[in-house]
Amino acid sequence: MRWGTIFFALCLSASSESVTSYTNNVPPGESGERYDEDLFIRPLLDGRVATTFTFTTDLLGNVSRQSESSGQHYTLFPLTLGQILREYSIAELHLTLNSGKWNYDHWGYPDDPSVGTGAELWAWMADGPSSTIDERWTGLRNALAGLFCASLGSLDTRHTSSPSTVFPISFSSSIPHGLRYANLPSENVCTENLTPFVKLLPCKSRAGLATLLNPQRIFDADWHGLSIHLRSTEVGTELKLGVQAVFDPVRLSGGRRRDWSFRLLFDRIIHDSCLVATSSVVRVQIPDSGSHTLSPASVVDDNLTAMYNLMTQAPLDVSMSWPHEHTFQYPHVHESRLTPLSIQRTLHGSSQIHGHLFIALTNNGHHDIVVGYFENLPALVTLWMHTMEIKVDGTERNELISNVSYRPHQVLANGQKSPSTFQAILTVPASSTLHLSMEISRAFLKYTEHPPDAMRGWDLPPAILFPVCEPAMGICGMQNTSAGMRDRMYTPTLLIDLPTPDFSMPYNVIIFSCTLITLIFGSIFNLLTRTWVIVRVED
Amino acid sequence: MESPLFLPTLAACRLLLAWVQLPVLDGLQLDHQLTSPLTSYFRLKEGLWLYHHGVDPYLGGVLKHSPLFLSLFSTVSPGRVAWALSDIVGAWALVRIWHSRQQLGQSRRDGLVGAAYLLNPYILLPSLASSTSTFENAVVLLTLMFAAEGRPSPALLALALSIHLSLSTSLLLVPVLMLLVTSPTSRLASPRPFGGSYWMVFKYASEFVVYWSVLVCAASIMAGGVWNWMHESWGASLILPDLTPNPGLWWYFFTEMFDHFRPFFLMVFSTHLAIYIMPVCIKFQHDALYAAFLLLGILGTFKPYLTLADPGLFLSMFAVFPEIYPYLRHAVVTALLHAHASLLLPLFHALWVIEGRGNANFYYAASLVMGVAGGAGIVDACFAGMRIAIGNGSEAERGKWEVVQQ
Amino acid sequence: MSLIPIASLSQGTYIDENALQPAQVNTYWNWQDVHRADQYLYHLEGLRDRNSTSEERAQFIRNELANLGLRAATQNYTFTASSGLLSGVNAYAIMASPRTPSSEAMVISATWRSEVGKEPYNLRGISIVLALAAFLKNYSLWAKDIIFVIGDGYLDGMQAWLNAYHGTIPPNLETSLLEYTSGVIWTALNIDYSGHSFSHLGVFFEGLNGRLPNQDLINSVRLISHYTGGVPFIVYDHLEPNDFPDRWQTTSILANAPDFIRQSPQLQDFEYRAKNIVRHINYQARGKPSGAHGLYHKFRIDAITLFAVPATGPHGFLALGRIVESALRTTNNLLERLHASFFFYLFTSPGTFMKIGKFLPSAVLVSAAMMISGLGDWVNAGWLHEAVTENDREEAAAGGPSSKIQGKKMVRWRMRRRPLLRPIFTVLGTHVMGLLAFNLMRSPIFVENHLAASLLLFGALTILPFVFASLPDRTPEVAPFSLLLKSFNLCLASIVISTTSLLNFSLAAILAITLAVPLMYSSCSRSSPPRIVSLAKYVTYSFLAWGWLFLRDEVKQAIWNWEVLGIWFAPFICIVYGPLVTQAGVVSLQP
Repeated sequence: MRWGTIFFALCLSASSESVTSYTNNVPPGESGERYDEDLFIRPLLDGRVATTFTFTTDLLGNVSRQSESSGQHYTLFPLTLGQILREYSIAELHLTLNSGKWNYDHWGYPDDPSVGTGAELWAWMADGPSSTIDERWTGLRNALAGLFCASLGSLDTRHTSSPSTVFPISFSSSIPHGLRYANLPSENVCTENLTPFVKLLPCKSRAGLATLLNPQRIFDADWHGLSIHLRSTEVGTELKLGVQAVFDPVRLSGGRRRDWSFRLLFDRIIHDSCLVATSSVVRVQIPDSGSHTLSPASVVDDNLTAMYNLMTQAPLDVSMSWPHEHTFQYPHVHESRLTPLSIQRTLHGSSQIHGHLFIALTNNGHHDIVVGYFENLPALVTLWMHTMEIKVDGTERNELISNVSYRPHQVLANGQKSPSTFQAILTVPASSTLHLSMEISRAFLKYTEHPPDAMRGWDLPPAILFPVCEPAMGICGMQNTSAGMRDRMYTPTLLIDLPTPDFSMPYNVIIFSCTLITLIFGSIFNLLTRTWVIVRVED
Repeated sequence: MESPLFLPTLAACRLLLAWVQLPVLDGLQLDHQLTSPLTSYFRLKEGLWLYHHGVDPYLGGVLKHSPLFLSLFSTVSPGRVAWALSDIVGAWALVRIWHSRQQLGQSRRDGLVGAAYLLNPYILLPSLASSTSTFENAVVLLTLMFAAEGRPSPALLALALSIHLSLSTSLLLVPVLMLLVTSPTSRLASPRPFGGSYWMVFKYASEFVVYWSVLVCAASIMAGGVWNWMHESWGASLILPDLTPNPGLWWYFFTEMFDHFRPFFLMVFSTHLAIYIMPVCIKFQHDALYAAFLLLGILGTFKPYLTLADPGLFLSMFAVFPEIYPYLRHAVVTALLHAHASLLLPLFHALWVIEGRGNANFYYAASLVMGVAGGAGIVDACFAGMRIAIGNGSEAERGKWEVVQQ
Repeated sequence: MSLIPIASLSQGTYIDENALQPAQVNTYWNWQDVHRADQYLYHLEGLRDRNSTSEERAQFIRNELANLGLRAATQNYTFTASSGLLSGVNAYAIMASPRTPSSEAMVISATWRSEVGKEPYNLRGISIVLALAAFLKNYSLWAKDIIFVIGDGYLDGMQAWLNAYHGTIPPNLETSLLEYTSGVIWTALNIDYSGHSFSHLGVFFEGLNGRLPNQDLINSVRLISHYTGGVPFIVYDHLEPNDFPDRWQTTSILANAPDFIRQSPQLQDFEYRAKNIVRHINYQARGKPSGAHGLYHKFRIDAITLFAVPATGPHGFLALGRIVESALRTTNNLLERLHASFFFYLFTSPGTFMKIGKFLPSAVLVSAAMMISGLGDWVNAGWLHEAVTENDREEAAAGGPSSKIQGKKMVRWRMRRRPLLRPIFTVLGTHVMGLLAFNLMRSPIFVENHLAASLLLFGALTILPFVFASLPDRTPEVAPFSLLLKSFNLCLASIVISTTSLLNFSLAAILAITLAVPLMYSSCSRSSPPRIVSLAKYVTYSFLAWGWLFLRDEVKQAIWNWEVLGIWFAPFICIVYGPLVTQAGVVSLQP
């Protein structure tokens, strides 16, 4: 028996060797590395400024995904990530930690589409025989949690699902890959996440664009987020570390002006460039209206983007001002919605047991939009699918929903409940609002299952709207930027408060209930077992 | 009430009520007093949706009904008329039980007995809330009716069905078997040892097992050849996966229970229900119908996932036993307790989950009142059922003698 | 019950929720912001003087809020009540707080009209909300979104907005869902500043159907008012006796009493507390909100109205702005919804309150007394109690049913039947009658000719119960109908009082007073009174039960409250109170 097990294990490891060895076709020695950094600054219509830092490390040649093989030598690629990559056979990994609500209407599409509130993690992992995808997922979660000081460890089976149409794999491969997706809306991003993040950069925060990552300012921004995108490409592996933040110079100036500069936004300027970087660029989008001045002056190309090359222009402090504007006037909202769809997702009803999940999608354009909708709800909430209603202008339009796929939550082997997922394709008619509503129930949990501050409730993760290919029209939403959706969109998160038991009462309840039961039990058995006698009553 | 037209009129009114659209009725469907996860029509509809969309309806812990309901409701879509009809069938069965107990064809109390079922708010409201407990109650009454009329096969089939629909009803197995081999007439006043033949009991029991197995197999076939419905529907009343509040005693106890004691107390609570069967059946071996009545009372107090329909059935069945009325010790107190409980339950429920100013303890307190009311009912019925055997004696003796228990 | 105002029964208030930390922050609101509020006030006064429409006002407010960069919109609504249509326009704006997922929110609101003070329009309240919107958005410390709502009308606008926000639009309200929404609202402050300046800050807290907000909110605002704003804090607009001794003495009911009584601090204190409680009971028993804050309570939002008590000075926008800013900072600290059963209390004075355990017994005792008396009647109904005459005695000696007590007194107890059906049908019948009466009252015909209709209805309600009271039964074998009915009636009333006492103590207290006496004495004497006396008694009962029908405005208001705000007072009176007293009347009719 025991020998058999060992033999089996040997076979397994041998086969895993053969499966993964194909990736070793390029010897590690031949792989080159390349590091680019980029900062894109976009002044927004409402006076805010969106900044996107992208730090790209390309690892040319395939990285070995075999943990037992010889040591890893990287010069620019972060070793810790490389180890994780190999250990868990990861083909694609996306981790984002965001804080705030991305305002699509005013800010348009973000430069990095992953703007869902809280932590979001999804990974495509090779399905190897040495360990299952679920084991790898657990390991990956814990490794990343340790690496980024985030509570990703709690992204357990209660949050994990596998929506492969929403998050398609970005390359084709002969071996089977599995997707795991989880999100944790209540995870806050803060300095303790940024510090390990900056450590992954070759120049840390001493030189180059990363100098600007001043935690005091980044985490005071209206919206901010960290992201890690790791993809296998044709030529190797691409790692993109990103920081996005939306600043509000109007608030910083006491409600008056929208002028901004590195000094104002980050309280720092760039003194030196990062020498190992192949390129280091600051790009500023020039707003198409208003008389602004940009300093230092720069060449503006046709896309209305000003470019600064940090390699030659350091030290650098870019600033933009509107000298003729005394007080910034906010534009009126209705005329300026920057995305084709406006999303509203709310919970209706005020009772703690039952309510409606209500989603309103407004098409701001003049073409119908076909869009995929994805919900990943923890088992605290039960969706009642038979109450689903789709309305446009108060009339029911059930033909606008198709490809409904719903998976109710399931009790897993470890006693936890997997989330329920709902996925459908919606057609939002031109210039109108589609209302999707479903009744929901809130679960009654045991008193030990409630978190501290139980009266606050639980955060429900954002729903995701994703572009879908429309075979009938021969176009995919991805390419058709004029009418369809360009990229994923995230709805706001929701707070749902569950009915709570009293937390101080377990003993009292046990005592009261047992007393009552015993009382009745005792009385009945008393009656049943004792004999009846007739007694003469004395006067 | 004594006119022969009274009952048909009442039945017609009940049918009429099924056609009337009242705005309050939609709210009732989700009321925790009237429907439990095991009997909620709302969940059944969700199960149907899942079934029609190719998802295993028993997957999400949503559906806890028997597959029989699923297949029934997926083939026909009955309106609220089905509930009205089921109520009428229940009332008819109760009247027939009364007839066979009295060995009469017609009697003056028919109207009263029928009205006790049709007008009982504990029965009527769950029925208006489309709770499937209405069907369960009707099947239980049909079981007792067939058994009282001495028709073993229909009785055993109905019993198998009712146990299939709600596992807790298995408490009735022994008294129904006893009732089949004895007579349903009232022998409370003249107790005597069990007169039935044990061989017949055994025969009927085997017959029951056959019916029951057939039903289980049929249900599994309807559920698509899998057995997980058993875990979801029967298992629910044993392991209590859903802690939705109800007027019973289980939910808050297991909400507040420490995790490592949970299995133990689940076992204790389940066994506690079964513990009553033998003593009650032995003590009331002369009147099996009365034993069944008392066990229904036990169910109506201690059942997991209790709804008002369960104590309702017990209270309605009081109408069949008029001979015990003079011996009830505290009928008014029981009635007042029920009145308090039925007012407090919805109010405290709203105070907790809708208005948010009370907490769960309020509702728990109301459910304790309900428990006390239920307990008072059973204890009183139990007392009266035995006290009647001694009788009151003549008026002259009053005051000189006192009947006590030693 | 009259002991409730005694000072020693109340205890000092305290803050239960540790997260609140009231009055612990520096406030930044200053004269610049006061100036801005004054500017808004100037525009609003212009709008008021021009008699502008709701639409114009809302558009103005919306534009001002939009100019601040907030997501602002208006909401049109129309209520359909039996007394007519009611429409208006609300304006609101949502300040998305930075860095948060917008899943929690707090509300500052003001309504266009004010009903407490002398001024009918709450212009200063609205100005300060607008100025706060401009001020608060400059800080990044908000953990929750802040929603600014300006409701049209007094209560209707806020009701429409709240229903639209929560997606619970009743059939008689015509409005669309809100264009912008935010997260869950936990707390809200409603500002009522209609006068010119103010001397005290009063709090109004009673909500719909007697729901009260969490006491922590009131206590926090009291501390903030004292320590941050330096403004004395009072309950309602009742000044404390020692604030203005002269004014107090002229308004006090003890004004004409001798000096030593008038100046006794204990009595003054007692009167002050009693006044607060009476005002509280007046609001709570009727289920009527004492301000727009009360509408929030239905959605589990703890809200209060801050009322700037009109005076010639010394406070104005500066103090109020600071208090509101600090109060928002306090509620901003909340990590979870206010809870901990701090919802049942009686405020006897701003700094003292009574816990539920102290005041509840007063109503429950009455209810218990009624229950015992009802059960007593039930027992009496079961036994016939007769003094044995000489003739009977021989019969008794011959073996008649009697209980003998040797000696002078002979008492004979006989069991008798208690027919239940008739009293049960009487009870059910009267309640059904009440239900019908309530539905009749909502019909337009009733609204149009109130006097004639109410006379007719009153007549019908008085005469109909005779159906139940017709045949007298005097057979000794059967318990008298009146006794059984009385017993049922008392038990029912007792249940009603004890169950409402927790939900709405004031209502239970009022019921305890109005039901206990008439019901207990509905059949007082054993000797049957002359027919005319019992008839007169019945008519008195009938007036007690339904006499309020003739109070035209009250009835209209109560019906409107039910239809628009969902206040249970009108149906409760019709379906529960009226029938109970009618049953007592029927009892009194019986010989």
